[in-house]
Amino acid sequence: MAPTLSVDKHARYFKHCLTMLPAKTVSLDATRMTLTHICLAGLAALGRLDEMVPDNKRGEMVEWIYAQQIPAAPGNAAYRGFRGGSLFGPHGACENVAANSGNVAATYSALCALLLLGDDLSRVDRKAIVYVLRQLQQPSGSFVPHPGTTERDPRFIFCACATSYILDDWSGIDRDAATRYIKSCVNFDGGMTQAPFQESHGGHLYCCVASLSLMGTLDAVLPDRSRTLRWAMLHQNGGYQGRTNKAPDTCYSFWIGASVEMLGGHALLNTDEVASFIHKCESAYGGVSKVPDANPDPLHSALGIAGYGFCRPSELPRMSPELLLPESVVQGLRSKCAAK
Amino acid sequence: MSDSDSNSLNVPLKEQEEWEDVTPIPQEEEANTVCPIAYTDEYSDMMGYLRAVMAKCEVSQRALDLTGRVIKVNPGHYTVWMYRKKLVEELGTDSESELDWVTEISEIHHKNYQLWHYREALISRLLDPKTVEDLTQDQLVGHPAIRRELLFASNAIDGDSKNFHAWSYRQWIVRTYGIWDQELVFIETMINEDVRNNSAWNQRYFVLIGDGRGKSASEPEPPLEDSLADREIDYSIEKIILAPNNECPWSYITGLLLRHAPKKLYTTLLPKIQELAAAGSDYAACIASTAMYWSTLVDIYECQAKALPDQASALLDIARDACDLLASDHDPMRNRYWDFRKSQLTMSK
Repeated sequence: MAPTLSVDKHARYFKHCLTMLPAKTVSLDATRMTLTHICLAGLAALGRLDEMVPDNKRGEMVEWIYAQQIPAAPGNAAYRGFRGGSLFGPHGACENVAANSGNVAATYSALCALLLLGDDLSRVDRKAIVYVLRQLQQPSGSFVPHPGTTERDPRFIFCACATSYILDDWSGIDRDAATRYIKSCVNFDGGMTQAPFQESHGGHLYCCVASLSLMGTLDAVLPDRSRTLRWAMLHQNGGYQGRTNKAPDTCYSFWIGASVEMLGGHALLNTDEVASFIHKCESAYGGVSKVPDANPDPLHSALGIAGYGFCRPSELPRMSPELLLPESVVQGLRSKCAAK
Repeated sequence: MSDSDSNSLNVPLKEQEEWEDVTPIPQEEEANTVCPIAYTDEYSDMMGYLRAVMAKCEVSQRALDLTGRVIKVNPGHYTVWMYRKKLVEELGTDSESELDWVTEISEIHHKNYQLWHYREALISRLLDPKTVEDLTQDQLVGHPAIRRELLFASNAIDGDSKNFHAWSYRQWIVRTYGIWDQELVFIETMINEDVRNNSAWNQRYFVLIGDGRGKSASEPEPPLEDSLADREIDYSIEKIILAPNNECPWSYITGLLLRHAPKKLYTTLLPKIQELAAAGSDYAACIASTAMYWSTLVDIYECQAKALPDQASALLDIARDACDLLASDHDPMRNRYWDFRKSQLTMSK
């Protein structure tokens, strides 16, 4: 009989992470919003969100998320949206607006986490966020995550696109420019990169393909998907490898796995091999690790499980490849947009 | 490092005389927060003071030292880097000691993104490319600041030969200061060390094609001169021989030629790899059984069929046969992909 995922253990693992993370996690203190999204998405991918986060717990979580939304203050228009955690201090505590900054990745994660908790986003300041996106887009078409940094790459293009899609408002993004930038990230080997000429990478493959898919420009950049699919297929060796000749890693089960789904390549996959690798990375105590016999962490757990779900659709609820949200939640969004 | 730094490892800031004038700002939290971290007292203490100095934009050595302590344990704190940059500029901190500090952080946090961008910003400020644009490449490589950065990146690569940030940092230095020749030498050294290092192969494409040209997606692919194409074909074949199953040289040469010298795929590369596979030795059998050999044949014949429509039918037949062999013998794990690839080999494109 084919092995199945240890759903109970993983559900308890995510619940535990939502409740408390150990001191050594402090290096992720500025990305607690991402961890929140990840843990809730992991539970949703297992089909255990309702059970582990019942209605009476959701209100408190929603309050915490909204407490990270940056309120308007003199001179802070470019810093609004959601911040990655409360480590920056109480909102009213300082005049230095740059010290209490939103971050496009946190904004994306906050919106997803709110949707997962059943919130209707009515308290989201949409106008403020759309304004911020406009400030964050670079002349090249790429995005920085917050003002003042030179870090710019497809991760933040993706967060901006996902945010626009969820808010159903694309006025914050020049889609043509973003699309052109992504096109310049198609590499000689068919993979996709962080910036032109950099090494093809599974994470950037996802960010590029998902952004194009959300913007509706996938066919404009990849009219012939075969070379991109070729890259993805070549990088499945047991589990998925993030780059050529690197060891397989469970997070790419989502980054590359979801890309394959978006490119219409599901039928081409050796799903047994992918599922088998993820099984090898399940921890006896719950959670999924990056590679076999290592410690689990929330990111690899959620992404490994979501990736597993693409391979075993009868076992787990379907996640949307574009948004790390359940397909059912995304359908709900779309029908709201259609109803307008 | 100042004396107060070694002190602060043991004594909380709230008990230090130097910090008496500052009221730390506590981290407000809703009652039931999500993904809370069990902060140590030390972390809470230093973060309270960091929030206080950042709130009023204090410019001081103590603030600078504090940013260093915070970044050491939490390099993902995305606003403190900006604050530190400002402090370094306004205090006139010595660039070399600041670069030393970044090096120290990189040794702890190999995969942090921010430190590389921070370093890039420091170097841009330290060495404006316009001030050295008249120097030859040799002179540039000998310039202390540039030599230092190349060493920093190559040390990181020594520690992790595929460190993504280090390779992309090298791309930035090479492009900003125009030191392309030394990079090719570096790449060859790295490929000699490990022929399977894809970061090095990717860098080779960068050096060949990324040279000075602002890449625009609407620009047609620049053609590669024959002599360079031939050189790269020979180089790739030499490396294929070392490890026939290694994806890197196959993907490299096929990708390079497909974009920049497609004719060479079938006039030059094809006969050379067929010769390798037909040699009649055990070695030849090895080449002829690798998936990469057959998948490269598919790509070459497909390209040739497009260029020579009157021969297309025959050429595509060979390509389809290769797909069958891949699906059945040489790469059965990806059999469904090879069936799909076969279905794409039509003349209507």
